[in-house]
Amino acid sequence: MSSELLSVRDVSKQFLGLLAVDSISLSVRPREIVSIIGPNGAGKTTLFNLLTGQLAPSAGEVRLRGEQINALAPHARAQLGMGRTFQIAKPLIALTALENVMIGAFMRHPALSLARDKAMAVLEKVGLAGVARRRAGDLTLSERRRLEVARALATEPEIMLLDEVMAGLNQSEVGQAIELLQGLHAEGLTFLIIEHNLKVVRAFSERVVVLDRGQLIAEGTADQILSSPAVIKAYLGEGHQ
Amino acid sequence: MDQFLNVLVVGILLGGIYGLVSIGLNLIFGVVRIVNFAQGELVMFGMYGSYYAYTQFGISPYLSVLVVAPLVGVLGVAIQRLVIQPLHDESNMQIFATFGLLMMFQNLMLAVTRGEALSIGGQVGPAVLSLGEMKISMVRLVTFVVTTLITIGLHLFLSRTMTGKAIRAVTQDKRAARAMGINVERTFLFTFGIGAALAGLAGAMLTPIYSITPAVGGNFIMAAFAVVVLGGLGSVWGAYIGGLIVGVVEAFAGFYIDPALKHAVWFIIFLVVLIVRPSGLLGQAGAEEVGFREQN
Amino acid sequence: MNKTEQFSRPGASPQAALTAAQTGIESGRRALLHYLGAMALVFLPCVLLIDDAHWLNIIAVTYLMGGLAAAWNIIGGFAGQFSLGHGVFFGIGAYVCAKLYLVFGFSPWATMVPAALFAALVAVLISWPTFRLRGPFFAIATLAFNEVAFVIANHFDSITGGPRGLQIPFKAGFSNMIFRERWQYALLMFGFAALVIGVSVVLRRSRLGYYLLAVREDEDSARASGINVLAVKLKGMALSAALTSLGGTLFAMYLRYIDPPTLFTLQDVGVKFALLSLIGGIGTIGGPMLGAALIIPFENFLRAELANALPGLNLAILGLLMVLAALFMKRGVAGAWADLMRRFSRNAGSGR
Repeated sequence: MSSELLSVRDVSKQFLGLLAVDSISLSVRPREIVSIIGPNGAGKTTLFNLLTGQLAPSAGEVRLRGEQINALAPHARAQLGMGRTFQIAKPLIALTALENVMIGAFMRHPALSLARDKAMAVLEKVGLAGVARRRAGDLTLSERRRLEVARALATEPEIMLLDEVMAGLNQSEVGQAIELLQGLHAEGLTFLIIEHNLKVVRAFSERVVVLDRGQLIAEGTADQILSSPAVIKAYLGEGHQ
Repeated sequence: MDQFLNVLVVGILLGGIYGLVSIGLNLIFGVVRIVNFAQGELVMFGMYGSYYAYTQFGISPYLSVLVVAPLVGVLGVAIQRLVIQPLHDESNMQIFATFGLLMMFQNLMLAVTRGEALSIGGQVGPAVLSLGEMKISMVRLVTFVVTTLITIGLHLFLSRTMTGKAIRAVTQDKRAARAMGINVERTFLFTFGIGAALAGLAGAMLTPIYSITPAVGGNFIMAAFAVVVLGGLGSVWGAYIGGLIVGVVEAFAGFYIDPALKHAVWFIIFLVVLIVRPSGLLGQAGAEEVGFREQN
Repeated sequence: MNKTEQFSRPGASPQAALTAAQTGIESGRRALLHYLGAMALVFLPCVLLIDDAHWLNIIAVTYLMGGLAAAWNIIGGFAGQFSLGHGVFFGIGAYVCAKLYLVFGFSPWATMVPAALFAALVAVLISWPTFRLRGPFFAIATLAFNEVAFVIANHFDSITGGPRGLQIPFKAGFSNMIFRERWQYALLMFGFAALVIGVSVVLRRSRLGYYLLAVREDEDSARASGINVLAVKLKGMALSAALTSLGGTLFAMYLRYIDPPTLFTLQDVGVKFALLSLIGGIGTIGGPMLGAALIIPFENFLRAELANALPGLNLAILGLLMVLAALFMKRGVAGAWADLMRRFSRNAGSGR
């Protein structure tokens, strides 16, 4: 139990008339890469929101490094090492890429010059150093996705929760993104990612968890899951093959 | 005991007035999801309109309302089309825009009328109904009846007619309604028009009761906000009941505490409700926190 | 290991050297010089050359309103929280200092800081519960507070003088903050505007400043970046309120007469701050002052020309400007100018 970085026990979320997340349990060990897949509306983003604290669970508990964090606000969880990206990234479009990443860097580096240095280092790491001074509004989609990851990285997380970070990218962009993530993983980062793109899931997951209609219906390695008839039945994958 | 009853009746009748003024605001707010700061000015236009109809043509406000209300309604449609629709996603700019309209309308009337207070109070229906010891002003009673009828009518309209159901569908979920083939923009135009017309109607009803100045809208708008928030955003009966509550509380506060603090009562109710139960008495809990984020 | 060594690795991009110029973040000192210098440049000739009391009055009011708009801009522009109730803080600064001066003879210079702190406290208390309200509801709640302040000021007349207000007799003296010459007041107001703009410049380049911007853009994203959104909003509001209160004190000592309508009428006070920021450029540093410079003299002219013939028309025109700005010029004159500059420099050859 204490070897788990993130553990989720019987977590549920009830909205008026809709049980969006139904008693899901899941655990992520340090340096693991776990993917969450499932059809639209399965509750994946809701689950993320429960993990990061944007929503409070109706039942169940979330633990980080063994400590219960149900009552912690999202910003407190970020400070404990949970980094998170959003499906629809909203950078500050009038600010530069560097300034956007600084917003994340400020968490651990309150002084402007230190935050700036940290942000620059992170931009280097994700390959955006060349556009550091460009307005975020002028970046391409692939660059914006990287920026979103960079902002979360600047908070120096232990575990990264990525929500469909590959959506809309073309094949070569996906390849580059996977390389980036693998590099980050090699440096010790743990990942919990929501993905539609099965190529990504195959290339970049150790374990896969399948959600459907708020319930966890299968769990296993990428190969196991992607060839399971039950999964294929519940979820006609929308991946690039 | 008699005094208590008297104050209660005064409060209820006042509640009818507040309810009437708030109905339009509530409808616009529930459907188009914008707070129309200029709603009080639409009431003011209704008042001036029926005043002139009476003084120039001798037509009673209860009759001229048939012309005045639709005219204000048309103005409402224009506002929605020209000002609100272009700003459909920008709630902060909407605040500026509708407040700007408030300033424009109020001060244009000020310039035109030079601020003198007008009144036909006492000329139309000065009758007073006597029930035992109580004296009830006829015009206020009529207004109360009108408010009740309108609330019933609006409720029926929204639940029984196709257009009404379309409006309710849009209120619940814009995206789903659009997917079902409902023309959301047209629904907004129509709703704003009705909301404005209701304001004009309220103005006509209030002409025999209040004296008319360009700033008269300001008297009602805060009370209307309090009513809408108290009663629950978008709920027709909520606005009605909210109006009654505000009216009664104001009457009692004014009589038993201090007439000067009467007006503070609205704000206090308003603030307490907003903080404790922002969805109001009859609205859905959390509606205004969730439903506001994005509804495209 | 110094900073430049860290990045002189093979393959490091040329832009890695971190001078302020390279990162596109102008150094705080240069920015201060830039804004305050521009303001001083405009101000000094006016004050030195103009002797006319009427014009000096306009200049003084313009700088005062510019400072007040810039104070509002901290919470309304940077953080995107549209408070329409800043009249409350304005009123606090005015009443507290005026009353303490009248009753105890305390110099406004001494009392204006405690008054500002009090205003900040009030700001935090009333904003704490209301900041969770979205957009228009927040605005309405702030309106309600403004109206409550009006009622309170009217009612507790033993303290505030009620509807009759407070009259401060003319007794010139620096410690009284009452001056004989108009130009001295103009200088005072200029100082106030310079202070607020200076604070804005420093704020914008601080962690709190960036956090305010992040909160405006997307609160969820801000939280995920470790930002305590409520705390940030409260800090911004407190700062904004304190500066607004200072302006209220100056206003009271300039006009030497304050009453509830003068302090709490939305169209003249609370909303005006927001309006000036909108027209000049919401969320920018120079925008509010620019808005004041454009609108205040213009409004003065309107009021002078039209007040008798058509009362209120000046406000109607302001209202129209507000509607038009909201529709067509959301980023104000400063924003439109910046867009133009950007498009121009992009076309001039540094294309993508």
